[in-house]
Amino acid sequence: MDKAAMMQTAQEMVESFVDLPTIPHVATRVIELLDRPGVELDEVADMILADQVLAARVIKMVNSPLYKPANEIKSVKRALIYLGFRHIRELAFTCSFVDVFEGRDGIFDVRTFWEHSFGVGVVSKIIAQRVRYPDTEKAYLVGIVHDIGEVFLSYYRQDAFRALLESVKGQPFRLVEKEAEYLGTSHSEIGLCIARKWNFPAEYCEVIGLHHDPEQAVLDPTLCAIVNLADLFCSVRQLDYGGNSWVTFNLAEEKAWAILRAYAPNLADLDVERFCYELDDRVPEILDMVKSIFQGIGAKEPS
Amino acid sequence: MPLDMKPFDAKSAPKISDKDFEQLRDYIYNVCGIYFHSSKKYFLESRLARRMEGTGCKTHADYYQFVRSPATGRSELTKLLDEITTNETCFFRNMPQLNALENKFLPEIIGTKGKIGFKKLRIWSAGSSSGEEAYTMAMILLEKRATLLKDWIIEIVGTDINETVLAQAREGVYNSYSVRNTPDYYLKKYFKEESPGRFLLSPEVKKLATFNQLNLYDDNKMLFMKSFDFIFCANVLIYFDTSSKSKVVQHFYNNLQPYGYFFVGQSESLHGVNDKFKTVHFPGGFTYNK
Ligand SMILES: C[S@@+](CC[C@H](N)C(=O)[O-])C[C@H]1O[C@@H](n2cnc3c(N)ncnc32)[C@H](O)[C@@H]1O
Ligand SMILES: [Fe+2]
Ligand SMILES: [Fe+2]
Repeated sequence: MDKAAMMQTAQEMVESFVDLPTIPHVATRVIELLDRPGVELDEVADMILADQVLAARVIKMVNSPLYKPANEIKSVKRALIYLGFRHIRELAFTCSFVDVFEGRDGIFDVRTFWEHSFGVGVVSKIIAQRVRYPDTEKAYLVGIVHDIGEVFLSYYRQDAFRALLESVKGQPFRLVEKEAEYLGTSHSEIGLCIARKWNFPAEYCEVIGLHHDPEQAVLDPTLCAIVNLADLFCSVRQLDYGGNSWVTFNLAEEKAWAILRAYAPNLADLDVERFCYELDDRVPEILDMVKSIFQGIGAKEPS
Repeated sequence: MPLDMKPFDAKSAPKISDKDFEQLRDYIYNVCGIYFHSSKKYFLESRLARRMEGTGCKTHADYYQFVRSPATGRSELTKLLDEITTNETCFFRNMPQLNALENKFLPEIIGTKGKIGFKKLRIWSAGSSSGEEAYTMAMILLEKRATLLKDWIIEIVGTDINETVLAQAREGVYNSYSVRNTPDYYLKKYFKEESPGRFLLSPEVKKLATFNQLNLYDDNKMLFMKSFDFIFCANVLIYFDTSSKSKVVQHFYNNLQPYGYFFVGQSESLHGVNDKFKTVHFPGGFTYNK
């Protein structure tokens, strides 16, 4: 399908979305501060301290098996000391983003979005480490937001989405392709429009718009490829929107794999099987984490 | 339960530290190609306790040294493997694999072969034991008999080194342990519970599979196992050393159709064993193709 036409459709569609949330201030600041020197990071700590709900989420998250503290961490200050500034930004970003998805249960449960988004964030970071991509934190953040288009597309276009899912029942399919067929656009274009509205930096916009076509990326093809692969790995292990699409893939045929192989020649020796089994081990931690975000300190907690 | 196997008291098992667990897991993975997921930590802990008792090792670190020692290691490793890899089999053992086969790989191969008018499907269960894996495939294929596999010839071959298990496979009589994973639908349709806990497999399933003795080390015989669409070799290669593994897997590679798939067991890995096979990922696992 014609890319320009899909973009046009997406633009109009996004304009028609009623009550599209705005991006949380904390999330914007974290992204802005990512490229700046360390001193300004105090600001992140202050922002967390100033927001009780956010602080509670951060504390809950730092105590999850994913971060494995030896003793329970009870205050934001302790969390800062334990994680260091780098990781506290990830947590602040993730926790503030909970509000963006809030109340968007439609065809998919918001929780399954979180499981997928959070999973892709964590796996992107793991892949970024493996290929020695310099900014693993960015890989994580952009992994969290890669499918924002999906959240809103499936929420605001429920009827079309239901028809789409009905049509593919039991057969293997890739969601982006089906969306183009049923909606004249896909979550990539929708996500890109939203990301621009929110003034996301250009590389973030690129990943959101091209995470299913990493070979078209120009600003940061490596980053696009990382998120693309993380997405594939998550889609075959319980972090896949409740098992709706029936994905199979062969790394040797994936363009993202070729991009990363060129970027990091050491990948040729990667023990893919073991890598997969190690990812399997992370899945319960990720699911636990998301569960804890939605429990007790639910998205909207009376303070 | 064999008499020499004391019922196990989980409370008395020494706790294994994360570090010891990771060390042993890496060792087992490197030597046997089987990965112990973190969720299996307590299982490994309890099984290790038996081996530590058997060898007189006081700590996990001692045991780790013992199992790696050139003098005693290899035979101890075999004993450890017997404890930790359930050296047995059952119907529908690997559900994600079977789902992928049914939903994706089978229709794909039927499409490819159907196009060239070659309506014959050949499946090999290598190290079939008492036949559960081979018969599971038979049942899944029987379900497609009226649709996808109409007019197709189906050949399922099970092979094992052990004549006793082969005889059981040919007989087709199973206990409740063997059918514990079998979905009700299949249990009702393809088994007859002759007396409590004694399940007879229906003749239409038995008819689809044949069982022959074959030692996977026998290069001459391996050459004749030609043209398979699906090959299974699950929970067999873990006992082989790397060079024998490579040789056996190369045979599988040669005997697989260009569009075929080769399946190993849950948590097994062919890394470092064969670099020709490509990994194909599916929900809940992966398989290999050419
Ligand atoms: C644990 S069973 C696996 C059964 C079945 N494939 C499964 O995964 O449930 C292992 C089988 O491999 C067989 N085996 C071991 N070494 C073999 C060899 N060299 N050649 C053929 N079969 C062998 C054993 O006799 C045993 O029946
Ligand atoms: Fe996507
Ligand atoms: Fe995704």
